Amino acid sequence: MQRAAHSEGAALRLDTPTPPAVELDQVRRIYRRDEFAVHALDNVSLTIPPARFVAIMGPSGSGKTTLLNLIAGIDHPSSGRVAVGGEEISSKKDRELAAWRARHIGLVFQFYNLIPVLTARENVDLPLLLTTLNKRDRRAHVETALRAVGLGDRMDHYPRQLSGGQEQRVAIARAIVTDPTIVVADEPTGDLDATSAEEILNLLGELNRRFGKTIVMVTHDSRAEHHVDEIYRLDKGILTGVEPGRRRLA
Amino acid sequence: MKYAALVVKNLARSKRRTIFTLISIAVSLFIFSALVSMPAVVNRFLADPAASNRVACHNKAGVTYGIPEAYKQAIAATPHVEAVVAQSWFGGIYHEVADQFPNMSVDPEQVGAMWPDWEIAPDALERFQHLRTAALVGPETMRRFGFHLGQRIMLRGTIYPFNVTLDIVGTLNGKAPPSFLVFRRDYLEEVRGRPGFVDVIWVRVDRAANVPQVITALDENFANSSAETLTEPEAAFYGNFIAGYRVFFRMAELMGILVVFAIGLVAANTAAMSIRERRTEIAVLRSIGFPTRTILAMLLAESLLIALAGWLLGCCGAFLLLRSITVQGVVGAIQMPTSVLFIAFAVAVLIGLVSAIVPASAAARRNIVEALRAVA
Ligand SMILES: Nc1ncnc2c1ncn2[C@@H]1O[C@H](COP(=O)(O)OP(=O)(O)OP(=O)(O)O)[C@@H](O)[C@H]1O
Ligand SMILES: [Mg+2]
Repeated sequence: MQRAAHSEGAALRLDTPTPPAVELDQVRRIYRRDEFAVHALDNVSLTIPPARFVAIMGPSGSGKTTLLNLIAGIDHPSSGRVAVGGEEISSKKDRELAAWRARHIGLVFQFYNLIPVLTARENVDLPLLLTTLNKRDRRAHVETALRAVGLGDRMDHYPRQLSGGQEQRVAIARAIVTDPTIVVADEPTGDLDATSAEEILNLLGELNRRFGKTIVMVTHDSRAEHHVDEIYRLDKGILTGVEPGRRRLA
Repeated sequence: MKYAALVVKNLARSKRRTIFTLISIAVSLFIFSALVSMPAVVNRFLADPAASNRVACHNKAGVTYGIPEAYKQAIAATPHVEAVVAQSWFGGIYHEVADQFPNMSVDPEQVGAMWPDWEIAPDALERFQHLRTAALVGPETMRRFGFHLGQRIMLRGTIYPFNVTLDIVGTLNGKAPPSFLVFRRDYLEEVRGRPGFVDVIWVRVDRAANVPQVITALDENFANSSAETLTEPEAAFYGNFIAGYRVFFRMAELMGILVVFAIGLVAANTAAMSIRERRTEIAVLRSIGFPTRTILAMLLAESLLIALAGWLLGCCGAFLLLRSITVQGVVGAIQMPTSVLFIAFAVAVLIGLVSAIVPASAAARRNIVEALRAVA
């Protein structure tokens, strides 16, 4: 099994018995369109240790979203193996994957994708509906998550009553409320102004530090380099390198 | 059910659309229940168990051909026969030609035994048996012409070239057709000059179980005579008169079904639109881990709720409306049978499910990645 290059810190953490947060082994994702085959991901192998905050960067069309979707278990590789938290997911059926996502994945999107007819509180409550928690426990979890993203005073606002940055905070609260194994975010700052983007990056960094949450983030935003532990670079579907982020160097 | 709030919130998303859909389903079910009620009312009347041991014996060629009044004796002598009453149609009008209502003459002696379900007061029955010009009148006709007990009225003949003068001695009640007027056949016979023919001879059989036996006995008895008979249960006998309306009833039913079908298409279009708008949201729910069947159930529940609210409004509206204005006919008050409520309920469930099933199952199964990519 091929391992991507790691900094010393990564090597240290590998000594612990916890399985890697993400493991990709010779993963291909090929889209067939008529006679053409688009190699969105070509033979990608990588290992992300637990409790890291990592960025996936690369030009448009390089396969970042494709990679993230495979890790999140909403897409299947054409070949190769994907394991998250030590559990192989590439062989799971759609129905099993749905149940698995509910427990292990928190998803954050570029356009927040909140349900407009639900308040912040109700949006964050959605993933908890799939658990066996009772109403009171759900309420407590939701409030904790919303406070963690700094929205303790906006719980009963509807998405249209919130700024873009605040909406993204609600989306992040929704992603962490079930305490997932890993949070995946696809260009979470892509639709935000500089200040809000910085705040969101700070928030993700803080969640990673305080709760030890593994966060895999796709981004175009060069500011992100200051916040993450590692940067995985993709180009034309190929993993071209892994470099430490400035956070790690600092 | 913790998803109920989500369903309700989604319905409130586009209130105008939800309300318009609800109203169109309500209107269609209103029309449907009203139209479907008509034949059901008649069928209920025909199935009335009170009349199950009453049979009508008439000329095989048709009621208007008549049968000899002398058949009465032979019929009365047949086993299981309890009462025999001959009837002749008069078909008179009160003042105007438009004043038509069912009026006929009957033998007075066994009226009480033949029609206990008409609940004629004993003293009225007695007067009917003693006064040759006596008449018993149903409540609707009493009301329509402002008749009162003891009033002397004249009916103008339309079939016959003479009039009859009658004294109202009592009313028909209970299950009697509310528009009927009956008077004595001996009186009619006298003014007709005693032709000795009657339209129908009513026969009361001791038990409903013996009806087939009596029918066979009578028709065999009069076979090969000058006037062969056809004897049939009361329900079938009235059914012949109503048969003329059957086509109309079929049309009404068809119209009702067409209206529902048209609204079903409208509802399907609305459901498709409302689900297509939410493709991304649905993909997000699935990415969170909502199972396909839960999403399908929520989308169907939305559509079902609208349809059932439409049913409540439309069908129950029709039920209450028909309750409050009873339209009187020969058949009686036209009320929506409870069965129509249930039929309309089933139709509403069908509209709700069928209109949403295709777009809902497509949305619940659509590839998540593609659905998410569609916005970005
Ligand atoms: N459903 C699809 N059918 C065909 N080709 C696809 C499909 N989805 C993605 N691709 C192709 O796969 C490649 C990688 O796409 P992907 O969305 O992963 O890129 P990305 O790095 O996320 O780009 P961006 O920065 O623009 O979001 C692209 O060339 C894209 O055109
Ligand atoms: Mg992308």
